[in-house]
Amino acid sequence: MSIAPDTIEEITNDEATDLERPWLVIVWNDPINLMSYVTWVFQKLFGYSFEKATQLMLDVHHKGKAVVSSGPREKAELDCYRLHAHGLWARLTKSD
Amino acid sequence: MRVGRGPVLHLEEHEAGLLRQLVDETRTLLEAGVPRADPVIARLFPDAYDDPEDAQSYHDMVGDELRKEKVRSLAAVSESMGPAGRADVELNDELVTARLAWLTDVRLAVGTRLGVTEEKMGAEIDPASPEAPAYEVLHWLGWIQESIIERIGPLGGGRSEED
Repeated sequence: MSIAPDTIEEITNDEATDLERPWLVIVWNDPINLMSYVTWVFQKLFGYSFEKATQLMLDVHHKGKAVVSSGPREKAELDCYRLHAHGLWARLTKSD
Repeated sequence: MRVGRGPVLHLEEHEAGLLRQLVDETRTLLEAGVPRADPVIARLFPDAYDDPEDAQSYHDMVGDELRKEKVRSLAAVSESMGPAGRADVELNDELVTARLAWLTDVRLAVGTRLGVTEEKMGAEIDPASPEAPAYEVLHWLGWIQESIIERIGPLGGGRSEED
């Protein structure tokens, strides 16, 4: 049982959602980059296991895009930059 | 061209010459101030946001550093091959990232100019087509990339979940 009124809890949730809604780093499919290269980049940049990196690459390939990382805007922009430096087609979007 | 038992790709003179030529062309492309309206530049320097203002801010903030990073990669590749003659490409040394990144930039430039699609990449190219030589280069550079990545193998990262 909680002694806090419901309304306060709702406000807190709204504020938290607004401030902490992360930015998503999305990699889009492109017809030029090799599947093996994309997998290597995901391992190298994000420290993902070969299996995780391969799954993300396959999502990009088959579904057209995949979220490869997320976080506050500065971190997301840095990840996006590193992907661009490796030639991947990355873009940022705010999560819903 | 052949891959020896060691971690080295031996390039014949004409093969190394083609790579040197591609280094020069990439350098020119990156340093000529080609406008973003050009599809190759747009692909090498993608928009980070759907919103045009945010996209422009991102380009203003990191565009020049991204360009310099690409030039550094090609300069490192160029230096490692020497000015003329045959060349050896190490498949897994400290320049591996620069090589893979530069090979990617060239493949993106060639492929974007060709307007490639997944279907075209997988299709047999008619040797009589005027585009055949460019496709050959595209696939050859891809083969070099594959050779390097195969040699590196899985990186052994342990992260399976995102933060």
